[in-house]
Amino acid sequence: MAVYKRGYERYDGPLTSHTTRLLAMPRFAWARLMDQKLVVILLALSMLWPLLCGGFIYLANHLSLLQGFGGKDLGKMVEINGKFFLIFMNTQAVFSVLLAALTGPGLIAPDLANNALPLYFSRPLTRLDYIGARMAVLVALLSMITWIPGSVLFVMQSSMAGRTWFAANWHLGGAIVGGFLLRIALLSMVALTCSAWVKWRIVAGALVLGFFFILAGVSQMINAILRVEFGSLFNPSRAMYIIWSAMLGVEAPSGPTAWECVSVLAGLVVVLAMILERKLRPVEVIS
Amino acid sequence: MTAPGAAPDVVFEDVSKFYGEVLGVNKVTLHIPAGITSLVGPNGSGKTTLMNLMTGLIHPDRGAIAVRGLSPRDPESLMRITGYATQFDSAPRWATGMDFVATGLALYGYNRAESRELAWKALEQVSLTDAADRKVAGYSKGMRQRVRLAQAIAHDPPVLVLDEPLNGLDPLVRAETIDLFRHYAAQGRHVILSSHVLQEVDVISDQVILIANGMIVAEGEIRNVRDEMVEHPSQFIIRCRDASRIASLLFNESHVTEIRMNDDRLGLLVMTRDREEFSRALTRVAVAGHVIDGVIPADENVDALYEYLIGGRS
Repeated sequence: MAVYKRGYERYDGPLTSHTTRLLAMPRFAWARLMDQKLVVILLALSMLWPLLCGGFIYLANHLSLLQGFGGKDLGKMVEINGKFFLIFMNTQAVFSVLLAALTGPGLIAPDLANNALPLYFSRPLTRLDYIGARMAVLVALLSMITWIPGSVLFVMQSSMAGRTWFAANWHLGGAIVGGFLLRIALLSMVALTCSAWVKWRIVAGALVLGFFFILAGVSQMINAILRVEFGSLFNPSRAMYIIWSAMLGVEAPSGPTAWECVSVLAGLVVVLAMILERKLRPVEVIS
Repeated sequence: MTAPGAAPDVVFEDVSKFYGEVLGVNKVTLHIPAGITSLVGPNGSGKTTLMNLMTGLIHPDRGAIAVRGLSPRDPESLMRITGYATQFDSAPRWATGMDFVATGLALYGYNRAESRELAWKALEQVSLTDAADRKVAGYSKGMRQRVRLAQAIAHDPPVLVLDEPLNGLDPLVRAETIDLFRHYAAQGRHVILSSHVLQEVDVISDQVILIANGMIVAEGEIRNVRDEMVEHPSQFIIRCRDASRIASLLFNESHVTEIRMNDDRLGLLVMTRDREEFSRALTRVAVAGHVIDGVIPADENVDALYEYLIGGRS
């Protein structure tokens, strides 16, 4: 029987908080994303439309500058309201899909391909922590092109148009932030699930794009073949558009109601979460 | 889940794990004390499953596990006392060795300065400080093995679980690493490792766990395990000058089953079913005036145990 000296003492000093620990993961992922030229270019392109909209808001509030171009008639055309922000959100939504398809797959797929999950899960981390840390990268990135510029535009319009406009349209601010956060949640779940499903980044990226485009096609086929409108429920982008319309107080296109869309998208997120939970195993499971 | 026993051992109680219909491990009951314990078994025997179970990466379908009194279902507590180096070369290629180890420490809750200090110490212990600021992508296989070990030991855990930790190491680093394990074991820590190199297991292990087809075939100190195997005669090499005469004397003993003479006629390989009787017989031979230079057990090693209990080579 070996005789052991029980002489060593472990570090028992203070440790950082749970949240601080989790931030160690996104920190490196973020730095790596920003090293990719394509991501930076797409980010820059995503800022063009908010800049244009900002210019639009400025002009709409300074119609005197447009006097020479029939400013009064233009003034009616460039009214800043829910519809304006809906167009803004819809355009940014396209960029958000592209950005998620480009960046999302690199978050989990390499860990799965390298069998690196045990490295994370042999730390004081849960699966939920890991997903949360990975999602934080996407949320931060997509926020930069969605609700942050959206809020800036809203604040800009509110400050230029004055109290009357704000009093009549204050709900638009919440709708922009809330609507975009719903979109980010859906996109992040789709991107992370595709990333966990397929180990190859390019294929996972294609899968993210395919998810939106193929479902859009499927929903149109359902509507056309069955001569119904509920097929739009299977088009996440269309369903989100209907929800945004309701949130912004814009007349929604015909078809399913906003609540029906919310229910279907919530169900979709639950299914994606279940797939993610199943695919994110710290060890290879033989079947 | 209630942790079975609060003793500072790694305890498996009737643990079974199935991957669908594939058996991982079946009805495993183990008490692993502090010190160096080697898991030995052929590929697919369940070594890695045992390691994954004790680090909470997978959970048993049946039975209970406790690592120094902690349940593997509580990673927040368990992972603070456990360091795990898997067999996979999963360090990200874009990171430097220092980044890789320090990031791991940040996930434990050490602040940036402490993380880098502890990471440096860990890299020092595996002789990798020269390459600390180089990217892992440029590391050799042995260096990647060492950085993997560094991330497991960096937070100074009392329980180290290491899957094939000596693979790919050059002889010098291998010797240093074994010294490191011995140092940890001497401090009362658990060093649980798997290895295919049986000679190495023999040299470094305080105890072995032989596993085959998901079941524990034998466990304990190598000599004790050998003692239990009564169906296999024990083998001894006797170095002596009067080999043929001693052989004829030993042949009269009923417990001796076989004797082989060395080519140089200065030694014998004796197989006996009763070690104690054999010991007494040797004493009688010596008392009778025959010079015996040495007696060495020939099959008190993992190699022989493996051969007897599992069959074939690992």
